[in-house]
Amino acid sequence: MSDHPIQLSVEDDLRRTRLTVFFRLLLAIPHIIWITLWSIGVVFAVIFAWFAALFTGRLPQGLHDFLGMYVRYATHLGAYLAIAANPYPGFTGAPGYPVDISIPERQRQPRWKTAIRLVLAIPALVLAATLGSGFGGGGGYSTADSDSASAAQWFTSSGVGGVAAVCAILGWFAVLATGRMPVGLRNLAAYGLGYTAQAYAYVLLLTDRYPNSDPEAVGPVWELPQHPLRLELDDDGRRSRLLVFFRLLFAIPHFVWLLLWSIAAVLAAIVNWFVVLFRGRSAEALHRFLVAYVRYYAHVTAFVTLVANPFPGFAGAPGYPVDIAIDPPERQRRWITLFRLFLAIPAFFVSGALSVVLFVVGLLGWFAALVTGRMPTGLRNLGAYSVRYASQTNAYWFVITDAYPHASPALRPPPEPEPEPELLPEPEAI
Amino acid sequence: MRAVVLLVLAGIWGVGAWLLWQSVVPGDLTLGDGSLAGIPPATLERADRYERFFRVEFVVSQLVLLGVLVAYAKYGIRFAKESAAGRIGTGMLLGMIGFALVWISQVPFRLAEVWWDRRYDQTDSGYVETLFANWIELGAEFLFVSFALVVVMALAGRFPRRWWLGAAPVFIGLAFLFGFIYPYLTVTERLDRPDLQAAGREYAAKQGIDPIPLRVEDVTDFTSAPNAYAVGFGPSKRVVFWNTLLDGSFTDEEVKTVLAHELGHHSSNHLFEGVAWYALFALPGAWLIARATRRRGGMANPAAVPLSLLVIVVLDLLSLPVYNVISRHMEQEADWKALETTHQPEPAKSLFREFTIQSLNDPDPPTWSYVLFDSHPSVEQRIAMAEAWRKREPK
Repeated sequence: MSDHPIQLSVEDDLRRTRLTVFFRLLLAIPHIIWITLWSIGVVFAVIFAWFAALFTGRLPQGLHDFLGMYVRYATHLGAYLAIAANPYPGFTGAPGYPVDISIPERQRQPRWKTAIRLVLAIPALVLAATLGSGFGGGGGYSTADSDSASAAQWFTSSGVGGVAAVCAILGWFAVLATGRMPVGLRNLAAYGLGYTAQAYAYVLLLTDRYPNSDPEAVGPVWELPQHPLRLELDDDGRRSRLLVFFRLLFAIPHFVWLLLWSIAAVLAAIVNWFVVLFRGRSAEALHRFLVAYVRYYAHVTAFVTLVANPFPGFAGAPGYPVDIAIDPPERQRRWITLFRLFLAIPAFFVSGALSVVLFVVGLLGWFAALVTGRMPTGLRNLGAYSVRYASQTNAYWFVITDAYPHASPALRPPPEPEPEPELLPEPEAI
Repeated sequence: MRAVVLLVLAGIWGVGAWLLWQSVVPGDLTLGDGSLAGIPPATLERADRYERFFRVEFVVSQLVLLGVLVAYAKYGIRFAKESAAGRIGTGMLLGMIGFALVWISQVPFRLAEVWWDRRYDQTDSGYVETLFANWIELGAEFLFVSFALVVVMALAGRFPRRWWLGAAPVFIGLAFLFGFIYPYLTVTERLDRPDLQAAGREYAAKQGIDPIPLRVEDVTDFTSAPNAYAVGFGPSKRVVFWNTLLDGSFTDEEVKTVLAHELGHHSSNHLFEGVAWYALFALPGAWLIARATRRRGGMANPAAVPLSLLVIVVLDLLSLPVYNVISRHMEQEADWKALETTHQPEPAKSLFREFTIQSLNDPDPPTWSYVLFDSHPSVEQRIAMAEAWRKREPK
């Protein structure tokens, strides 16, 4: 867990009330009106806060509390809308909601950072838009308008859209069917909201700590069950500036090769589907071919989005810094195989939303790596997570495994707790 | 034995070159000094100033290019640590990095060219636009160099000393393929000029070929210079006019002279001959690359790739005068065919004069510049040919 002052906490048992989920958007109308009004107040408050922080080096206590409550309330409402939490949230942003954030005590902030806060915040806001608030309703793009209503609309953004919106839509169906929110979707939505809260807190001058997009640093240790496909990350963060500058062009041969290989892989997947349907497991040769393709796809994606540095090979061989390990062929359930493509649709949606995140990671990483020669760890890990999810989705619909992709924003399963050492009986004193 | 083989190969090469050199231009044709009357002295001076910049710029840019490639040949292998792609993939990466460095080194010169063109009203292109326009070109180069290195390094891995024998035919085939598909890659429209379409059919018949589609390419975004070109093989044959040639600056007779000239390229099989000339140079060129890179472990070794780029550029520079001689020879033949087709030397002369006035072509460049840069006969020579044709025309 990181030491970022804005910490996300999730105390949620995944159970949902079908009735409130069915009418969730309608039930949230009073909150939406309320947050719109509150946001108008926040626009004026933050202008005042900016001047105060610029001259005194810190926010007045009252303003700090007001803005902190606002960010917390926006997170609660976002969690409610994204079905990341069940109870109807309060209107004051008081602590104690199942998906909550901690607001730090006010502290001194360097004036130069305060002066250019909005400019510095642009990358974080763009990323937050893809993770939480989305580019649509309430997204950051209405800030261009100078009138306070438009600015308020931006602040009104309550963390739904982009990845969180996809989680909400998929979760809505899942909850109506099962009465429970899938843990992966809940965790992903909560992570998006957590990052968005960090970004808002930064813009609203609650902290001068830059938002950290590392999935392992936002919120609790995310649950990630064992899966036949695992991410292997061995990257030191260094990037060659020349390779970064021409990254897309260097990737052109890979794009061509990937396109050709994709055609063959789709054909092979169709054959594999029949094989698994009749035999109950993949043929060894088909499995090897498709695994190499999935691995190659992961390597190229990681290279293009700067999640990894070296120019990848063309054979999908293991050993790349952002790599995929896949278990040998195992038995697959036939009924899952029969409906595989249909069942994969939710994963395609999540994967699609994460591909937008990956694009933004690549774009922001490009500038960062060009200037510093390094890929920021937070962006790298978020990108690696997205690559992991895309690879699990590929493995699922190519009938390599029937284990469903897991959306929890974790790179790898948490380490197994070490077994308690057996206490030997004290030797009796002789 | 080796000497005999080399002698035979040289003989075959010589016969091939002699056959390709054949031309319909009469061997006893003597060209006088072309009359530049009609071109204002101020324009001649302006054209001279305009082209002088490009000569200097070319020399400096090539020196910079060579400097960059020498450094890259020496230190380029350090970039191998940025690759996880195995032998051939690493070679591809090194090849692309080499092109990237070349591209970076040439950026200031490209911008300077735009600046100079804008000063002389030869282009409306902006500087940023110039930079972005070249990205697509660079991407295509990356793709080509990657493919070329896959072929070369795969062959060199199997046949370390004889790869060039297999690689050269592949590249010749590629050149032919590219010549065939190029017309389909450029955006052109059918020429909507019935008079020129009719002239095209008439001229094609006179030159003994089937009618060839006439197309127009919109180039206004990057240049105001007039031009036309012949492209394609077989069904992809085209004559393409830049729209700048058809904007009314040139008379119908002048445009028809251009049309006859371009058809002359097709009827003389110049596009095919171009590939054949390439074939004649590709084989010894590939052999020279193989020889030069032997000390770096040969082309099977990625470490040889940076050096091979230097060798290619040096060979390219050295062969530039030879390429220009061949190109001028073909252009001269097309000019002659145009005169034989239209029987109108006056529009031809005014057309060439107009090239100087509009495109600021120096009609009489210095010899060194003519040898190094000019792929077409000088304006003065082209006017002289029109005059020579008029003198020989049967009364």
